[in-house]
Amino acid sequence: MLRRTTSAMAGLAVTATLLAGCTGETASDAGSGGKAVKDTLTLGMNADIPGWDPSNQPGYQGWAGEAVWDTLIKCDAYGKAEADIADTWEISADSTSFTAHIREGQKFSDGTAVDSAAVAATFQYSTSHGGAQGDYKGIKIETPDPQNITISWPEPQPMIVSRICPVKITTKALLDSGKVNDTPIGSGPYVLDTAGTTRGSVYAFTKNDNHWNAAGYPYKKLVIKVIESETAAVSALKTKQIDGNLISAQSYNEVTGSGLDVTTMQGVTTRLLLTDHLGKKIPALGDLKVRQAINMVFDRDAMVKSLYQGHGKPSYQIFRPGSDAYLDGLADPYPFDVDKAKALMAEAGFADGFSIELPTMAGQNHETLMPYVTQQLGLLNITVKQVPLSGANAIGDLLSGKYPVVLWQLGNFGQSLQDIDVVVRDTGYWNLSHQPDATVDAAWQKILTGDEAQKKAAQQEINQYVVDQAWFAPMVNPDGFYAHSPDVTIDKVSDIEALTPKLRDFK
Amino acid sequence: MTLTLVKNLARSCAVLLLVTFATFALMFGNGPGIARAVLGLNARPEDVEREVIALGLDRPLLVQYWDWLTGAFTGNLGESFYTGQSVTGALSTRVPVTLAIVLITLVLTAVLSVLLGVTAAVKGGWVDRVLQFLSVLGTAVPAFIIAIVLVFTFAIAWRVLPATGYVTPEISIGGWAASVTLPVLALLIGSVASAAAQFRTAVLDTLGRDYVRTLRARGISERHVIFRHVLRNSAGPGLTVLSLTTFTLLGGAVFIEQVFALPGMGQLANESAQINDVPMVMGTVLVTIVIVLVVNFLGDLAATALNPKARTR
Repeated sequence: MLRRTTSAMAGLAVTATLLAGCTGETASDAGSGGKAVKDTLTLGMNADIPGWDPSNQPGYQGWAGEAVWDTLIKCDAYGKAEADIADTWEISADSTSFTAHIREGQKFSDGTAVDSAAVAATFQYSTSHGGAQGDYKGIKIETPDPQNITISWPEPQPMIVSRICPVKITTKALLDSGKVNDTPIGSGPYVLDTAGTTRGSVYAFTKNDNHWNAAGYPYKKLVIKVIESETAAVSALKTKQIDGNLISAQSYNEVTGSGLDVTTMQGVTTRLLLTDHLGKKIPALGDLKVRQAINMVFDRDAMVKSLYQGHGKPSYQIFRPGSDAYLDGLADPYPFDVDKAKALMAEAGFADGFSIELPTMAGQNHETLMPYVTQQLGLLNITVKQVPLSGANAIGDLLSGKYPVVLWQLGNFGQSLQDIDVVVRDTGYWNLSHQPDATVDAAWQKILTGDEAQKKAAQQEINQYVVDQAWFAPMVNPDGFYAHSPDVTIDKVSDIEALTPKLRDFK
Repeated sequence: MTLTLVKNLARSCAVLLLVTFATFALMFGNGPGIARAVLGLNARPEDVEREVIALGLDRPLLVQYWDWLTGAFTGNLGESFYTGQSVTGALSTRVPVTLAIVLITLVLTAVLSVLLGVTAAVKGGWVDRVLQFLSVLGTAVPAFIIAIVLVFTFAIAWRVLPATGYVTPEISIGGWAASVTLPVLALLIGSVASAAAQFRTAVLDTLGRDYVRTLRARGISERHVIFRHVLRNSAGPGLTVLSLTTFTLLGGAVFIEQVFALPGMGQLANESAQINDVPMVMGTVLVTIVIVLVVNFLGDLAATALNPKARTR
């Protein structure tokens, strides 16, 4: 009996092996073509796309959206405008209107012309759909002819280019049909291959040879596979089932050891956000000396070495190197010095410390960071109570202001104006306590009315101010990793968030 | 017999209603929270309020559940809050993946566990000890560890099977078989180990009964005794084990689908629950409950058919 069972199991293995040999899906031949052929680019992504509504597309791993839709203009890594549907454009001196000329001869995947009516309809749609509706409130659109369009806001928009870039242009007919989630219509470099697509699993695309920038997208086919597990993604990379995937630091050595290339990005800053600048919820935080003391108890070099295994750089400011607000050569304003920090706490009258609640959430690397942060704050007698957030309430709770101090690996944009708008200004959703500040407001006014040089100076003024005021305790700029086949070239990362290469970066 | 069936059906319907309502109540705890999660971090409060209404989350819980339930009876399970995809459309591609893995594993488990259990019980000695050791080992090692070892061996080192992905039978029968082989093996090792141990115990118990001694004393062949009498009388506990194995396999499929990047129902349930995509979660819960109830029902039916005493319970 045992012999028969053994035979049966051996038979199963042999059968499986034989079957694998005739599938055409084996590890050896699945995935991309060679460097010269540029046949198929197969990318893994760790979360499904949120349907095909053009107003609800992610920037993070947003390759499917980049494939099927063009935008009026594109943003480069630092938020500067690049051509797309529009070949020329102009921004009014007061930053309230954007006038663009739409290049001629472009067509959507349904064969209709890309014209100002379609662009206008899509921008209008964005005023009432998706998560960025507020950015388009009150816009007026003028379309004097099919090739020209002007989009105007009632108030000056210092980030007017960033407002234009994300809007993915589709047809008015599709928007009016109410079936935006069924099949995308766009004029992008690829067209969705519905036959080869299984939603939630595999998205297949064929190249749009008529695209105005077809030469910028060398692959004839694009396949995007949803692979949630990093273990599975690494296996797929190693067996050439996919050509590229984001990986964490834990997989770095395994991936590079397997002969794969890794593109490194620095798009986030690990930081404590100390948003209760006026001390309304936690009185101690209203004292500058306390905020400075908190900054002094973190040994940033040791954090890079121990917590990030050397994959990162110490951070003394929250803005991206190379962005307008970044202060070149800024020395560590609060060098690691626990004794001095304790003295500052005593001077402020908080030698006995106080308590704070720090929210934690899965996927934020808190498991590694929180013990260290808790320990270091404990040196100042600051007691940390961790509050786990999950489920439907998590985002609302996080942004509600209930927790004025947060430990987070927040992104820093290539366009620092966005960081100022989101985390520094009192209206920003990451400025959790939303407390007004006259200095920031005054500098923002300079940004609204100044020329380019004045805008840049005002941004650096804000940066220096938040450093001096210790509104944050920046710690580390950790590396992000995109692992890819040596057959795929990624010379630059165009993503303004520096979190993933854009589709146009894969060569 | 008919009364037993009717009772089972009524019990199944009650369980179905209870579990779906409980899930619905838990998931629908916070309309604004769900709407904000759908819209993202930078959504403004007024946009969130509008989304709550657009998704129908502003209505009383019972009204929402009633709408879902009546929709479910007509085959309409709604649309995903996040992707706009119809739930039935999503399930139509997901359920076959999970069912393929679970059913193949279940059939192989039934066959192999009977063979191994009977072999161990009948042969005894070193054969029994080896099989018991392997059984403990197979039960102790989690399926996802086995999966990783299998991927490393067959996909990365030998390159004879795909590391990830699923090929539908419509595209390629061979491709389909290759894509399910490692996931099935990963689940199979643990389930066979567990079920074979149960069969061994049941067979040993039956072998010790008086009527087996009598049969042997009458000179009836050992093969006849084992396969006609012992196995039939050991089938009751075995069916229970297989029934429970189905539930375990459905749970294990969640991890296995992740490791092999299979677009199955477990993966859908997992990702939908994480983002509070209520319609998708309800769809996966409904299908899972139906599978569990059907398996339970069939198990009861088979046990009743094999054991007349069960009909009177």
